[in-house]
Amino acid sequence: MIAGGVGPSLGRYRRGLVPLLWGAGLMGLLAWLPRAEAWFRWLAPEAREVIYPRDDFTALLFNHLALVGVASGLAILLGVGAALVVTRPWGRDFLPLASQLAAMGQTFPPVAVLALAVPSLGFGALPTVVALVLYGLLPILRNGLAGIEGIDPAVREAARGMGMSPGQILWRLELPLAAPVMLAGIRTSVTVGIATAAIGSTIGAKTLGDPIIAGIVNGNSAYILQGALLIGVLALTLDSLFEALTPRRR
Amino acid sequence: MSETPRIALKGVTKRFGAEAAVDAITLNIAPGEFCVLVGTSGCGKSTTLRMINRLIEHSDGEIHIDGRPIREIDPQRLRRRIGYAIQSTGLFPHWTVARNIALVPGLLRWPRARIRERVEELMTLLGLAPAEFADKYPAQLSGGQAQRVGVARALAADPEILLMDEPFGALDPITRESLQEELRRLQGRIRKTIVFVTHDMDEALKLADRLVVMRAGRIVQQGSPDELLAAPADDFVTSLLGGRDRGLKRAALTPVARVMRPVDARLPVEPAVSPDEDLRLALSVMLWHRVETLAVVDKAGRVCGSLHLMDLLGETP
Repeated sequence: MIAGGVGPSLGRYRRGLVPLLWGAGLMGLLAWLPRAEAWFRWLAPEAREVIYPRDDFTALLFNHLALVGVASGLAILLGVGAALVVTRPWGRDFLPLASQLAAMGQTFPPVAVLALAVPSLGFGALPTVVALVLYGLLPILRNGLAGIEGIDPAVREAARGMGMSPGQILWRLELPLAAPVMLAGIRTSVTVGIATAAIGSTIGAKTLGDPIIAGIVNGNSAYILQGALLIGVLALTLDSLFEALTPRRR
Repeated sequence: MSETPRIALKGVTKRFGAEAAVDAITLNIAPGEFCVLVGTSGCGKSTTLRMINRLIEHSDGEIHIDGRPIREIDPQRLRRRIGYAIQSTGLFPHWTVARNIALVPGLLRWPRARIRERVEELMTLLGLAPAEFADKYPAQLSGGQAQRVGVARALAADPEILLMDEPFGALDPITRESLQEELRRLQGRIRKTIVFVTHDMDEALKLADRLVVMRAGRIVQQGSPDELLAAPADDFVTSLLGGRDRGLKRAALTPVARVMRPVDARLPVEPAVSPDEDLRLALSVMLWHRVETLAVVDKAGRVCGSLHLMDLLGETP
């Protein structure tokens, strides 16, 4: 961060600008797409419809965001919660298990999680959310553990020796110190979640994947591009939002 | 001892599993005393220290502070009353120097103005200019500066007792020596009861009012540095004290002022030592200049005495 009078506030302002720009781009795309038939015609010259007709893009976007939002919220709750539990003195016994799970889960492709969810939970939004939670949990758990385990033991020792309570150590020491690493895990989880949620369209959830699936089924490349554009810009918007939120290391 | 000891350990034992890390030690530390626990690594000195603020619970025996068993005191409240400084400082990396020092007063809910005042007072006391250092982060400090902040933090709530676990162990020799000097000087002003752990015998001899030598969880010998040097209890203490080198170590404890003679007008003013320098240094100066006598010159530059080689022998038989 730049030292001096206006430096820090200007830096902060600038960092907030990027997600704002991407967000505006996303809004613009939503407004422009329904009227952009001329621009997409060349991709599907034969098709009767060029712009995905079955649903409003805005509705799909909100549904998509709702799925990811609910799933990420749960994943953060469970992931951060689990990371905190297994690093408490009374939960330490489960630390090796949690680290192994977190490491193993990363090697599992999201589509496979989705495919496994259907037989047990059927079609629709529910299995999609479950799959998103399961997959999104792991980077959050892994980074949560790395963040807390990465704190210099001497700092915790000093905190105890000064007479801080376990609660004070958690809130004033462990969470703030682990926050940048934790936030990086949440960022990965949410960004991957945006992409993974699109696959939910294959099992009947309403998402921005709908135009893509419909495009593949009908051989309509224009639909595919429209879905892909929206998902891409959405992912970039959220990612830049996290970038702006991540505290700068001194 | 008629006075109630500030800290009393009575038959204190700590077992980890079947093994006793500290084995039935008894130790009384008087108010204002600088007590140094010294020994090789694994001798139980750190464990002993950490039992006093209940970071480790003792298995057997009793530890009293001001006559009260510490088991009766809530550990967090106990620790807030006892200063604690450790080798790696353990400063909070996301807090400024000022906020780090204010930690315990904050936990004790002192009013803000009083905390700010206290932080400035301590920073000045430890030679850290508040204007320059208050808003710095630990990562921006040198090892010596960070350790000063660590000591300031330990002293922040004005505790009666200060526990220090090898606080200068990780510093370079020059910084270490200057911090030792400062701690000595500081102790002259604040008169805390200090329990200090080190494996460095020179450091122990320099700082201690009372030296406690530990080995394998037991106290081998305790007493003033002079007493130990004069009569080490066994070969272990002798070797810890530097074996045949201990003549010099003892000379280092005696100031020139204690053995010097009146001014000898026939002596040249060079080479000279000052009255508060020690005999070891005086001997070194004699060896260097190949002389048997030195002038003693005080800070103002006045000749205030003389020192003969024979005087050194009188003080170190």
